[in-house]
Amino acid sequence: MGTEDYLEQARELLEDFPVVDGHNDLPWALREQVSYDLDRRDLADDQSAHLHTDIPRLRAGGVGAQFWSVYVRSDMAGDTAVSATLEQIDVVGRMIARYPDDFAAARTADDMENARRTGRIASLMGAEGGHSINNSLATLRALYALGVRYMTLTHNDNLAWADSATDEPGVGGLSPFGHEVVREMNRTGMLVDLSHVAATTMRDALATSTAPVLFSHSSARAVCDHPRNIPDDVLELLPANGGVAMATFVPKFILPEAIAWTRAADENMREHGAHPLDTTESGMRIHRAFEAVNPRPAATAATVADHLDHMREVAGIDHIGIGGDFDGTAFTPEGLQDVAGYPNLVAELLARRWSPEDLAKLTWHNAVRVVRAAEDVARVLREERGPSTATIGELDG
Amino acid sequence: MADLQDDPYDTDTTAAAGDLDATSPRPAAESAAPTDTASVATSASSAERARALLSSHPVVDGHNCLAPTLLRRRGASHSHDLEQGDSFLDTDMPRIKAGALGGQFWSLEVDADEVRTGRAVSTTLELIDLVRDLIASYPESLRMALGAGDLADARNCGRVASLLGPVSGPAMGDSLATLRAFHLLGVRALALAGARWADDGLSRFGHEVVRELNRLGVVIDLSGASDETMRATLAVTKAPAMFSHSAVRALGDRPGDGGVPDDILTLLGANNGICMVSFAPDQLTRDPAARDGKSPSLTEVADHVERVRDVAGPACVGLSGTYGRESDTPHTVGLEDTSCYPRLITELLDRGWDDTAVTDLTWGNAARVLRDTEFLARAAQQRRSPSTVTIEELDDARR
Repeated sequence: MGTEDYLEQARELLEDFPVVDGHNDLPWALREQVSYDLDRRDLADDQSAHLHTDIPRLRAGGVGAQFWSVYVRSDMAGDTAVSATLEQIDVVGRMIARYPDDFAAARTADDMENARRTGRIASLMGAEGGHSINNSLATLRALYALGVRYMTLTHNDNLAWADSATDEPGVGGLSPFGHEVVREMNRTGMLVDLSHVAATTMRDALATSTAPVLFSHSSARAVCDHPRNIPDDVLELLPANGGVAMATFVPKFILPEAIAWTRAADENMREHGAHPLDTTESGMRIHRAFEAVNPRPAATAATVADHLDHMREVAGIDHIGIGGDFDGTAFTPEGLQDVAGYPNLVAELLARRWSPEDLAKLTWHNAVRVVRAAEDVARVLREERGPSTATIGELDG
Repeated sequence: MADLQDDPYDTDTTAAAGDLDATSPRPAAESAAPTDTASVATSASSAERARALLSSHPVVDGHNCLAPTLLRRRGASHSHDLEQGDSFLDTDMPRIKAGALGGQFWSLEVDADEVRTGRAVSTTLELIDLVRDLIASYPESLRMALGAGDLADARNCGRVASLLGPVSGPAMGDSLATLRAFHLLGVRALALAGARWADDGLSRFGHEVVRELNRLGVVIDLSGASDETMRATLAVTKAPAMFSHSAVRALGDRPGDGGVPDDILTLLGANNGICMVSFAPDQLTRDPAARDGKSPSLTEVADHVERVRDVAGPACVGLSGTYGRESDTPHTVGLEDTSCYPRLITELLDRGWDDTAVTDLTWGNAARVLRDTEFLARAAQQRRSPSTVTIEELDDARR
């Protein structure tokens, strides 16, 4: 079979079992670009000049469910972080209300299946970093009540109760309060997301969590040795836990050659007074000027497939998924430039002899199973115990 | 017509009065001074009438701060059992039932410290969580209420309709999306006092907040706001405004210091809003020293209620026990806890209030404010989409 045949077959497979993507930063992009003014970014139209994501490209990409990230910057703290998170949740709600033929609010696995059956994109939410709950378990429960279904324990910086992958070791994984956060997430039915966290935190959370965990956007450290990726010993824990690791597309995490380039590019951003994660037009101008002089090593769909091959090898076909991180990264791989690209990845995997059944697990079933399992665990735990009122002061001293 | 739908048990008042006669006021009458026989007789029958009226039109109370009190006491050695009764507090289920409470705005107000230390938003979420947990923990007594329909439904099955709010204005973090999140979580009232956009009047962002509150159907609470903010808000809001717990300034010890001035009560009447008269001693009495440390009494609350009725109108007066505090904090004499509402109603009947005036005071006016707020919100939602303007866009540009 030729490339075109694989692509054709990929599109057909995705019609039945579309992609559940673990992480998309469209809400943050809307905040940064247009202060949440949806009139200025009509997602029903082509927004490729500004965004990785719009409805026509989600449709072309075969996306059937999206965890919209309600991320807020990890230098935000206290009320500022909580309020900004609520603003992110608000824009997702308004987005769904604005395009009811394309998006369907989803809070459960059943909602995901219903959306698939009715041809909508199931819209879930994930919070990216425990700073969004301001050390308050009631705030965690409020996020859950507002529809948030996973929380990444940290973003790029340590919290008082959890270590990040991209910070110095702090409490050495999870503090006692960090463990309590995981237990309370299990009880409420919020999935524990272990992307961004230190390997010590991954291991601590896996030891405590009685529900399957997810990695909303992380790839394999054995393929590309970046702290944002998952070490093999942790991938090996997933079958027993039942969770899912959703491979990300971010070139600087997945392509070894891109790591050094990114370090230099970030430094260049800082020299120009911009935050390295700035993906606004002004930020991207600085990036492009740098790129003109320093050619950027290019990741491709094959790079992502290399990770998935390895993750499948170590964790098993039932424990992998996809988390593109679109609109949350300055650069994307060739063939996976935007949300229309998923069929290229599926075609690449077909060429590597992945079966349709395997691909259905990768794109749809595994993620839905994990969402359902979290619901089941919560149902039992809520019978056993009430809401936790523990405070970080009590538990961590 | 809506009123009729809400009052299916109106015809049952006599039967209900018989049921509730168990707490007969007669022993009290016998122990009263024999020289006062005539008025005692009136009082006894007034007490019966009060119970009868309250059984069909229980009190919708504007402000109970049990949630902040319980949050503050969390981790204390004494754990509260509100079902059995709890002498540490002025609010528990047995006394709520004895007091014929039918609806409660559970205050979610945070103190200035929380605002200053950047914890007002999450503390408000803690309070919302706490009240939702209370409602879930006492399903025989409490029921979540999101609108006027729920108010009547809860009453019809003998539960206290529990409304979330008022939330403190500063706790919405100057963010309309945060306000919408509170609304999604069930909040139905927000107090403007203390917000920087409602400091002295309303800033441009303050106007936008009022419009968004109208659009959402969140009742605007003006208790504690400055006179200028009260006036500005009453000029802008399309929905009825509420004073969740206020006294009348003209009857205060030091006029000009707190409470609602008469001219604003007149504006409130035109707005069809409601002033829920506070029972809190520090609101009735600004200067305890001037009274030799004596607490105000029930009759003073009745005076305030009558003044609001006379100035704002009989459709614009309500009650606010401002309970939810520890028992050993100062309380108005005769209105010490949530079981005491019937005593106040008895006093008003003795003063010649007719049945309709009483049932409007306890139930009808608050129910109407909620219903009007809801209807206007539904209409506004057809016209306006959620506002995304920021305080920086509207206010900072003018500074």
